[in-house]
Amino acid sequence: MTRSPSHLRTRRSALLSGGAVFAAAAVLAGCGSNSQVPGNGNGTATIAKASPVKKGGTLTVLDSSSLSATGFALDPAQSWSLATTSMGLLNRRLTTWKIGRTGVAKVVPDLATSDGTPSDGGRVWTYHLKSGIFFSNGQPITSQDFKYAIERTYAPQLSGGENYQKPLIADTKGYTGPFGGKSLPSIQTPNKDTIVFHLNKPYGLWPWVVSTVSMSPVPAGKAPAATFAKHPITSGPYAVQSASQSQIVMVRNKYWKQSTDPNRSDGPSRIIFKLNQDPTVEAQTLISDNGSAQDSFGADFVPPAQLAQISNDPSAKSRLVTSPASPLEYLAVNMKSKQLQNAKVREALQYAINRQSIIVASGGTIAAEPATTLITPGIAGRVPYDMYPAGHTGNPAKAKQLLGQAGVSHLNLTLAVQNLPVDTAIAQAVQQAYQKAGINVTLKTLSQDSYFGLVTGNNSSGYDLAVSSWQPDFPSAYDNIEPLFNSADIGNGNYNLSRLDDPAVDKLINQAEATINQSKSNVLWARADKMIMATGSVVPLVYNRNSFLRGSGVQNFYIGTFPAYPIYTAVSLG
Amino acid sequence: MKFARYLVLRIAAMIAVLLVVTLVTYLIFQIVPADPARAECGRVCTPANLRRVRAFMGLNHSVWRQYIDFIGAIFTGRNFGHGANAIHCSAPCLGYSFQQGQTVLSLLGQTIPVTLSIAVGAGLLWLIGGVAAGTFAALRHGRAADRLVMAGSIVGVSAPAYLVGLLAILVFGFRLGWLPTNGYVSISNPGEWAEHLILPWCALAFISAAIYARLTRSQMLDALDEDYVRTARAKGLRESRVVGRHALRNVLIPIITVFGLDMGVLLGGAVITEKVFSMYGLGALLIGAVGTTNLPVITGVTVIAATFVVVATFIVDLTYRLLDPRV
Repeated sequence: MTRSPSHLRTRRSALLSGGAVFAAAAVLAGCGSNSQVPGNGNGTATIAKASPVKKGGTLTVLDSSSLSATGFALDPAQSWSLATTSMGLLNRRLTTWKIGRTGVAKVVPDLATSDGTPSDGGRVWTYHLKSGIFFSNGQPITSQDFKYAIERTYAPQLSGGENYQKPLIADTKGYTGPFGGKSLPSIQTPNKDTIVFHLNKPYGLWPWVVSTVSMSPVPAGKAPAATFAKHPITSGPYAVQSASQSQIVMVRNKYWKQSTDPNRSDGPSRIIFKLNQDPTVEAQTLISDNGSAQDSFGADFVPPAQLAQISNDPSAKSRLVTSPASPLEYLAVNMKSKQLQNAKVREALQYAINRQSIIVASGGTIAAEPATTLITPGIAGRVPYDMYPAGHTGNPAKAKQLLGQAGVSHLNLTLAVQNLPVDTAIAQAVQQAYQKAGINVTLKTLSQDSYFGLVTGNNSSGYDLAVSSWQPDFPSAYDNIEPLFNSADIGNGNYNLSRLDDPAVDKLINQAEATINQSKSNVLWARADKMIMATGSVVPLVYNRNSFLRGSGVQNFYIGTFPAYPIYTAVSLG
Repeated sequence: MKFARYLVLRIAAMIAVLLVVTLVTYLIFQIVPADPARAECGRVCTPANLRRVRAFMGLNHSVWRQYIDFIGAIFTGRNFGHGANAIHCSAPCLGYSFQQGQTVLSLLGQTIPVTLSIAVGAGLLWLIGGVAAGTFAALRHGRAADRLVMAGSIVGVSAPAYLVGLLAILVFGFRLGWLPTNGYVSISNPGEWAEHLILPWCALAFISAAIYARLTRSQMLDALDEDYVRTARAKGLRESRVVGRHALRNVLIPIITVFGLDMGVLLGGAVITEKVFSMYGLGALLIGAVGTTNLPVITGVTVIAATFVVVATFIVDLTYRLLDPRV
């Protein structure tokens, strides 16, 4: 659910820092940025060819985040960074992502020699470490460092990270981290190069889970919870020289070896993250392309006003990079709402939606394209389909007909939305589309905290519909489906905003999770996609695109098919 | 003795105000649906983990108990969590930010110098500039210079702070390249410190000086019609002495009142200016905390901001005595 400054965070941004994001969506349809992709919805991108990586120079990243667990967190246990953005520069994991300029993202070995060897039907996963791998302090990386790092994430003061591993690792009840000397028996390290995970159920997606940043190794016994982030010891191509609320300075990690890491580069000698930037000033700085701005890029989406400005500026236009359509903007249909218990009514909501107006509200075709599936472009296993064909402008007549069949004449629904410009515009477009079908929608515009308090809380009343968006934390169809539609994710701050509680869906999700063969698993996820759509619990609206700006001296600045953010680990200077 | 009693009563009143402010902050958080523990629970947040985090943060108690713990920690310090995971916050403990991994006091220590640097420089600039412009306009009442100053002040009064800051950056930063556009440099490097602050100072001062110019002008015009000014002129005093010594001294009383309050508010966080110029001061800290339901930081900043306001008001009241012994 990435909705924010690009840098890096995954869906915490939606929860905590807000959705200014799709504000990035702009007003300039077809502005022709240098990586503009065709609107085919299949995630393939037309992107400039890679330049040879030149070594040296200081790259500056302008970033609106602050130094904190909810912004730029330097402790991997608390980070929500994507594997290929900021923390990808500093930390390696057992596996990582291979992101192509075309095709779908894949999980590949990073510090381990393979994606993992499953046994006991997928309940046990074994990894062997590569040789010649070191931390930034020169210490060799061992399996104990992984074990300790993962155990740290169970400490209450370090609980704020991604945590995909927590409900999966066996026998963790009551465990509160390694600081009191206790360790998890379910993570075994038979020797310094081998680590074995015992899970509480068969889990085919474990190679993806160990690719998340919170699974990065830290030196065993030398990473106190309170102080590690101040002087982090890293395993990636860069080390932290200094960190303050003004900036984070990264320098090359002299112990990192390209020979062990084909997925990252160490082009710039130094990388400086300038924090707490105002996105508008940030965009203006990059448009000006003066001085150090030439060797800079923005971590935040380009605001709409600056996108319009860029459309009239050939220099800036040539430096604008727009992602393929990927993150999903959707309408959650509250299955606990008394007014929405009739399947015909929910079906009417599907047919009445006008996606063309949602695209306009999002900022035009540079910002979005119509969505009809839950698995997003760029994710393996996606099968395009449209279960409720009504064209881009919807079919209000059919919706009225369905409401008539349901015996509903006066439908008054409450639509929860965050008080952000683009979100509000989308909600208004939904309201107008439903009005044409005779459905009266009242907007409930809320601050970010209040919005998430309502839609992820334990009380299911208070809204019938909710506008939301979602981008997976890792490129697996699992993350398009499970967090949003598994009944275990209703309330308690989790993201099943539709409050779909369908045993058949849960069963299929469990089956797909447990399937080790990813080709077979993807078939199940695609089936789950259709099964959920058939419940009418969600109306996919659009796949969003994000736009970023770079200075003229920045090379290899591109966005792959997933995620909709630049790949920081590839950027170099010209 | 009378003054000592006055001081004691004022300080007691200030403490009472601060207690009420903190209590209201706590109560507000009980009304909104946001849960500070949720932000610390992580992406996959199981009910058991949420309970553990809530207990660790001390949020599993009643609001009254939380409030009493907060007040008590100011005097005695406190521990969050227990055993090997415990985090100690020494007195005076204003709370612990789990998101930043620091005590609130430490965060305030990092951000107050930024806000103070912005506020004091800008405040002096707008006070001197506003009073000078207002006095200048009053002494040329009805003439072109007066109209020019007042026209300029209307622009300043009506311009949004964000727009003024952005324009200043575009013109002086990008187009002319005279000044750095963002970032705070520690005062340990005074040259760069001032260089980075010139634009924020000027942007803030442009807006507030306009208000002070209008206020000073109207007060000065009234004062120049007063009997004591006529008497001073009749005694043959030089006009500069009449204005500076007699009229301005009276004019300054309401100006200082407003200035004190403005400075108090500004020290609580020059939110927009800090945002535009990418400076991490109290305002930026507070906005970030509000956006992430960071209750300890919100409470800590609120206490400090309220302290600035009540102390500034107190100082203003004391200043009255210097400016006008009759008060």
